[in-house]
Amino acid sequence: MTEIDLTGVPCPMNWVRTRLMLEQLERGQQLDVLLDPGEPLRSVPASAREDGHEVVVAENRVTIVKR
Amino acid sequence: MTLTDRELERYSRQLVLPEWSGEAQERLRAASAIVVGAGALGSPAAMYLTAAGIGRIGVVDSDAVELSNLHRQLLHFTPDVEVAKAENAAVKLRALNPEVEVDPYPARLEEANAEAILMGADVVLDCADSFETRYVVNDTCCALGVPLVEGAVLGLGGQVMTIVPGRSACYRCAFPASPPPESVPSCREAGVLGPVAGIVGSIQALEAIKLLTGVGHPLLDRILQVDGATTEQTLIATERRADCPACSQVAATAQSG
Repeated sequence: MTEIDLTGVPCPMNWVRTRLMLEQLERGQQLDVLLDPGEPLRSVPASAREDGHEVVVAENRVTIVKR
Repeated sequence: MTLTDRELERYSRQLVLPEWSGEAQERLRAASAIVVGAGALGSPAAMYLTAAGIGRIGVVDSDAVELSNLHRQLLHFTPDVEVAKAENAAVKLRALNPEVEVDPYPARLEEANAEAILMGADVVLDCADSFETRYVVNDTCCALGVPLVEGAVLGLGGQVMTIVPGRSACYRCAFPASPPPESVPSCREAGVLGPVAGIVGSIQALEAIKLLTGVGHPLLDRILQVDGATTEQTLIATERRADCPACSQVAATAQSG
């Protein structure tokens, strides 16, 4: 499992970094992203779902399974 | 060859595109383009390629900036009048994006130097304003197997055609012979409305980016005609000619697109 701490990283750079990390993974692999509350925690999971990934949010931890 | 933090920020608004990716960005950074002509088409074409993060761009133009160029040639500003266009374009493009290697060629592209200038390019954008140059660029790109994006504009009309030698129709397949010189008005006589050139040059940059990254679908075997008067666009189908003297002997390359 890979984890990146993107607290303090504003939109849309947090999503840029998340996407680039996801690019490195194989399908089915998991990426955990730590995000700030507010806009980051609203938009990064939404963007990941739009790209077709599975997303689970638990507090400020967003777990993405690459699809 | 990962992207730096500054690159991530600079290109962030294209990196978030679902169709784009870090890999596409890196492919663009590894690529080299030559823009023939730093005028009305070459300005937006070179600016967008540079802004998008092409690795290296060469700009070919033998003219100096004139006051009458400025209504349509966006790389050149009023204080640049009388400066060589290739050099001025290089200054502006480097200021736009210092990550890009910019090489000015203050020369007129012709048969004698075409191969030396175009060899090694991953894509060529023909933004020149003469039929003579257009055929030289087409024939040289076919001989070298380099993809080409042809653009032309006159009055309120313009056209674009993307060519992958050996795979799609080349300019000579679509237009086997140059029209008689007296039938072709020049920009000087016929005039050009700046934004029409902006549309065509911008589409040329888009086509080049698609060819280089594999994102989207390039405009192959079709000629896009833009009518600025009505804002209508028309696609005209075209196809390779078995007897084309420029491209019939070219084997299809493994180019993406």
